Amino acid sequence: MSEQPVMVFQDVVKVYPLPAGDVTALDGVSFQVDRGEFISVMGPSGSGKSTLLNLMGCLDTPTTGDIYISGTRIGDMSDIELTNLRRDRIGFIFQYFNLFPLLNIIENVTFPMMLKSQKAVDPEKGKEVLRSVQLEDSLFTHTPTELSGGQQQRVAIARALINSPDILLCDEPTGNLDSKTGAGIMDLMTELNRKGTTIIMVTHDPHIAEYSRRTIRIADGRIVS
Amino acid sequence: MIFWEIAKRNIRINVLRSSLAMLGIVIGVVAIASMGILGNSLVASVADSLSSVGDSVIITPYSGGGGHSFGSAGSSVNLKITDQNFQQIKRVAAPNVAIPVYQTAEHMKIGVGSDDIVAVIYGLPPEDVPDLLKLQDGVYNNGNSGCLIGPTFAKDHDLKVGSRISIGTNGDKGTLRVMGIIEERGMSFDISTDSALVVTKEWFENTYNRDADYDQVVVKVKDGDTAGMKIAIEKQLNKRKDMKIVNVMDSKATLATIYSTFGMVTTFVTAIGGISMVVAGVSIFNVMMMSVTERIKEIGIMRSIGTQKKEVMSMFIYEAAIIGVVGSTIGGVMSVVAGYAISALVLNTTKHLFTIANALSVAEGMGFGIVICLACGFYPAWRAANLNPIDALRHE
Repeated sequence: MSEQPVMVFQDVVKVYPLPAGDVTALDGVSFQVDRGEFISVMGPSGSGKSTLLNLMGCLDTPTTGDIYISGTRIGDMSDIELTNLRRDRIGFIFQYFNLFPLLNIIENVTFPMMLKSQKAVDPEKGKEVLRSVQLEDSLFTHTPTELSGGQQQRVAIARALINSPDILLCDEPTGNLDSKTGAGIMDLMTELNRKGTTIIMVTHDPHIAEYSRRTIRIADGRIVS
Repeated sequence: MIFWEIAKRNIRINVLRSSLAMLGIVIGVVAIASMGILGNSLVASVADSLSSVGDSVIITPYSGGGGHSFGSAGSSVNLKITDQNFQQIKRVAAPNVAIPVYQTAEHMKIGVGSDDIVAVIYGLPPEDVPDLLKLQDGVYNNGNSGCLIGPTFAKDHDLKVGSRISIGTNGDKGTLRVMGIIEERGMSFDISTDSALVVTKEWFENTYNRDADYDQVVVKVKDGDTAGMKIAIEKQLNKRKDMKIVNVMDSKATLATIYSTFGMVTTFVTAIGGISMVVAGVSIFNVMMMSVTERIKEIGIMRSIGTQKKEVMSMFIYEAAIIGVVGSTIGGVMSVVAGYAISALVLNTTKHLFTIANALSVAEGMGFGIVICLACGFYPAWRAANLNPIDALRHE
């Protein structure tokens, strides 16, 4: 028996009702992501990339069609269930790192763990993951603003990995980094994928997309290739 | 939990803003609690000066609706309670004791060559005196050559048990020996003895040619039902509405009215203090809204990585609670100091400061401070929790 796909989109339509008239951001999108894949989603501005990312990240639900994350249909889920799904199954990596400025590096990384366990957690697990993204031990007690962009993105990756998610969802992960640092981050992502992490990366940069093994191209709310 | 920690750090990082919000709460708590302390101390102080009249009903001659003014010597110069009326009162009051009281103001001299002074003299049946008065020194007076004196009178004129007082302008009404000194009673509804003399009914009648025409009658109600006694006496003596004979005052009801009036004054001044708390609440609301607005993106990140709405909400509620608890605690301590200062300045005494009522006033002020903070923090927290994560993430 083949392994269950980590994500399935079936004829997904997303319509935003606006006073000036409904806007169809996604129009019958279907695809599936298998475990261990490294996919990039590309498309021009206004093509529906962000909408697709929000739906993949369970931040939104489709107007019609079905989305399954690790076999679970998200369409009928409550806000609490969707939030738990994001916490346990999905790791987010953002363009602007989006670390919490009030927390130090270890606390930032273990934050999703604390959400899951509802109690104080062992910082060792955080340190372990931080080491796996090649961050020096001396930086663990610093605050995010004391780190470089590349270091911050490594921390963000560690935070995304801490709850061992099924999917790592990246939104322009190198968009705010210089090319050299960006290449370092992409090497890290490739390494993570090689070790079995499923990665979906939204980008408009074809060089970055080259790191992935499959590319979904989207235009006018439809998958074109 | 991490949200508590974030709330603490956010307050620390915005220390000036948070301190100003706290200051509002401190002022609010101090205003409410110190006004409460002042009111309570005022009531305690009044209660202290009003004697422990116990449960008594005071009957005075009907004075045309002018009411009874206690302690006013000769207030009913031409109005008396006749012996017939007294006997009626006595029958209604039985088995409680009804004490007839004579009262006048008189010139007197203490010692040879001393100045002429004027004081109130009460004439009471000697057998009833122990029911009405307690002594701090000496013995009760049963004879016509002795008297009891009030503690203020004794102190003012340096009198002791055994001292002599010449009654009348030139001592023409004889000399009385001090047999005992009455315990302090304070301001009283029946007889105010602190600066007065108490003589026997017989001496009074002989000296002033009085014959069972009393200035007032005091009924000591043993079962405490002063209201019932008042009704019974009025029913018996004031049968005709157009021809009332007596005014009847229920000491307990009067005392209750006085306390209730002071209570209302306390509530009123506390409510004025409460206005400052409302202003503080607006400040907290403003601070919390600012806190939410400047952290919209952070809230979006939290929600996107799996933070529940209630957890986001708790973070802001904690922040409001910290401001409330710290502000209210400082306010509570300061209100004790303010209450001390105000009591010392306004009432010239601080002996009524450490009472349960005052502790409750402080607790009330602090509780109100915390509740206001939580209430004013609730909407911003709710708003933060219910932000759309997608919009919040896009926020710059």
